[in-house]
Amino acid sequence: MTAIEIGLWSFPVLLGLIFLRAPIWLAMMLCGLAGMWMVTGSPNIILSKLKSETYTTFSSYSLSIVPIFLLMGHLSGLGGMSRALFKAGEAWLGHLKGGTAMAAIGACAGFGSICGSSLATAATMAQVALPELKRGGYAGGLSTATLAAGGTLGILIPPSVVLVVYATLTEQNIAKLFLAAFVPGLLAALGYMVVIALFVRRHPGSAGSLPRAPMADRLRALVDVWPVMLIFIVVVGGIYTGIFTPTEGASVGALGTGLVAWAAGGLSRAKLWQALMATAAGTAMIFAIVLGAAFFNAFLALTQVPQAISGFAVDRGFGPWTVLVIILVIYLLLGCVMDSLSMILLTIPIFFPVISTMDFGMTPEQTAIWFGILVLIVVEVGLITPPVGLNLFVINAMDRETPIRDTYHAITWFVASDILRVALLVIFPGITLFLLP
Amino acid sequence: MPAASAAGNCSIMESLVRRLATFSAALGGVALSALILMTCVSILGRAFSRLGLGPVPGDFELVEAGIAFAVFAFLPLCQLKAGHATVDLLVPLFGKSGNRWLLALWETVAALIAALILWRLWAGFLSKLGNGETTMMLQFPVWWAYAACLFPAAVLVLTCLWSAFDRLRGALTGQDSRPITGESLH
Amino acid sequence: QDTVTLKLHQFLPAQAPVPAGVLVPWMEKITAESGGRIVFEHYPAMQLGGKPGELIDQVTDGVADVVWTLPGYTPGRFPRTEVMELPFLMTDAEAASRTYWTLGEKYMFDTEFQDVKILGMWTHGPGLIHSKTPITVPADLNGVKLRAPTRVTNMMATNLGATAVGMPVPAVPESLSKGVIDATILPWEVTASIKSSELVTNHTEFPGAPLYTSAFILAMNKDVYDGLPDDLKAVIDANSGLEFSANAGKVSQAADAPARQIAVDLGNTIIELTPEQIAEWKDAAEPTIATWVAEMQAQGIDGQALLDEARALMNENTK
Ligand code: NA
Ligand code: NA
Repeated sequence: MTAIEIGLWSFPVLLGLIFLRAPIWLAMMLCGLAGMWMVTGSPNIILSKLKSETYTTFSSYSLSIVPIFLLMGHLSGLGGMSRALFKAGEAWLGHLKGGTAMAAIGACAGFGSICGSSLATAATMAQVALPELKRGGYAGGLSTATLAAGGTLGILIPPSVVLVVYATLTEQNIAKLFLAAFVPGLLAALGYMVVIALFVRRHPGSAGSLPRAPMADRLRALVDVWPVMLIFIVVVGGIYTGIFTPTEGASVGALGTGLVAWAAGGLSRAKLWQALMATAAGTAMIFAIVLGAAFFNAFLALTQVPQAISGFAVDRGFGPWTVLVIILVIYLLLGCVMDSLSMILLTIPIFFPVISTMDFGMTPEQTAIWFGILVLIVVEVGLITPPVGLNLFVINAMDRETPIRDTYHAITWFVASDILRVALLVIFPGITLFLLP
Repeated sequence: MPAASAAGNCSIMESLVRRLATFSAALGGVALSALILMTCVSILGRAFSRLGLGPVPGDFELVEAGIAFAVFAFLPLCQLKAGHATVDLLVPLFGKSGNRWLLALWETVAALIAALILWRLWAGFLSKLGNGETTMMLQFPVWWAYAACLFPAAVLVLTCLWSAFDRLRGALTGQDSRPITGESLH
Repeated sequence: QDTVTLKLHQFLPAQAPVPAGVLVPWMEKITAESGGRIVFEHYPAMQLGGKPGELIDQVTDGVADVVWTLPGYTPGRFPRTEVMELPFLMTDAEAASRTYWTLGEKYMFDTEFQDVKILGMWTHGPGLIHSKTPITVPADLNGVKLRAPTRVTNMMATNLGATAVGMPVPAVPESLSKGVIDATILPWEVTASIKSSELVTNHTEFPGAPLYTSAFILAMNKDVYDGLPDDLKAVIDANSGLEFSANAGKVSQAADAPARQIAVDLGNTIIELTPEQIAEWKDAAEPTIATWVAEMQAQGIDGQALLDEARALMNENTK
């Protein structure tokens, strides 16, 4: 076999291993190591690389932000901030038909502004909102789907772990990516609220409404979310204005969130321990995939497959827009079975060089940022597309009474709004880019 | 009885592995917390540089060395809790026994890869030990950072070995000590 | 006859000045002169994985066959190369590269570079200070937050009362624009790619006696070189060594002028220090040089002799 053939064969083999329940990091690592051995005909290259690359892959200043954001996310559930956000949402939106579900979306958006992970957002907000939705007479499927979709706002609204990884892989500016994600993130929240309004119109028995809250209560509820606002402004504002590096911003945020939780009496030693252990497991999971992907991608580079794919697209005369749509569809399909970080780490080294050689009528930096936001959205859709959607599983595990098919039914509405939004952002890149300097 | 004493040994092994993995994760947690505090101190120092203060010297290098240690230290716990990302789409197809054997297979492969990583990390440590390489700002020897990662890497190998043994036993006896399907920890 | 494929791995994108102006033409020339029996696979921008500091191990261990890297990425490992990076040693990159190769052949190939086959040794153009507030005397550095590129320049900046801040080059523009740092030390060439001239208004040049330079090597795996048939070895030999290194230094420095013009067009202040002013800086740098000599002494290297010979060679090579 030639190197290119080995490289091309590695994709079905990798997917085969993954479907046979191999942990994704392990499958990528195995394919990478075995592939390099096959291409070079000797184990020398893998033995040499492993001497330093496990250490240097983990020893990354730009990725150090990941565990810190994860810790910040786990701490932010402890200071009553999630409840305050939900109560504020309810005060303003609760009187609408489906208003409590809309409040949950609003609260997810607020929580997403200080939490960098989808699963943490979904799980934390579900603890607060699921019981309230139940009490309000909401259908099980609508409740779980709302929180699963709302959870994706954890990543769509900055800060965002996925964007950090994308920025690291493509050498783009994290602050600019965060800024570009802002409007699409708000559009997502708005889109989900519209979906809820349409859903309850179609299924009138699925939701209730609360009496209208007096203005004084509304304002008081807003005041109660000040710690969230403060942390968001300091962290994202600080990173954007460049007062902090992203790692510094995350550190300030984690410390601040910890202090808020402590002041609110939510930071017992046991809770801190839990937060740290959850951060540990999440960090290990992410960095293991980063390591596997590093070896898989070094192997692919050796086979020259990325250049071959790029050359194929050019030879066939595919225009930039065709290629973009094909890539986005591939993400949507992969997203039905894979998690977002694995997808990004696996595919960006192949797709990004293809996209960056194409002319979309923008500067290379604008193209990179715009493509990053599009990818961010399509991989996040993967978290809520059946059959394998991590958010769906997490929320369903918290609400055993609701059959998963009810969740599947309601979630298709939210997925539809996601796809509509992607189309909008593809057609009008300005929505993503206009905030950038 | 021999069977009972074998089971007794297993549980001692299991509790040792659990303790080591948890201890390792706790060390990583301490390192991560220390990095966060150090970074905040560094920001304050920089903000008041007019008063003669300054950022923590080499803060950048400390984060790089510390985060590598923390990640190594977190890996055993993730392995123990089956926390790695997997695709469970075809799980219902394999049946109970099929799933048990698949788990045993992958845990065994993970143990081999972990052992490979530890062996090569040791080789990397030895080469850094001999070549005088230091960091640029603080000029501490790079082998210190490698050395720190050896302990958690060894715990990882031990955890993977126990985990593989546990899954193999599960596949052979049909008795699971940990769930074979369902939610993983994220 | 078999063709030999060599993997060349390096840290910059293919279109940067040295890859485009030195490495790619070098590969093409060797392929042509070998009658197509040596071909290269060029892996720019660390495509084969790892961080730039690992390039030297990669070529030693055979992950790559040829690498272009900086000995300074692994401080402490190639102590003698630092002589080229000492303050006020270099004049221009071509002369410095000749000096560096001569010293390398004499003192380094059998010692710190014994595990690799060195094909080229060169430096970049004159390094200078880019700052927000004008810097003309060493005391101006007092309290300035500064990003320095090498171990020696970090030592010197600290000795002069600056706060040395560590960060990778790509982080420099953001840090400059937001006051995380107030100044940076770089050759002109690099300022074009990171657009730092839009973020500072002052550039302190040291005409005739530049502040510093950084040393590069082009290195080949020893076993791969030794395994070549003699006629192919001859092709490699004909394209490496003193003249190749001198030309690489020249190409590297040639990229400075357009970058300097950017700063001029922006209306920035270019401070060209007078010989008297430079003398004051040289005095201020003496303790740093003394520290370096003492450090070498501790490792059993006669740093003073190496420095003296480097200075003599610089004199000889500077036209
Ligand atoms: Na977020
Ligand atoms: Na999915």
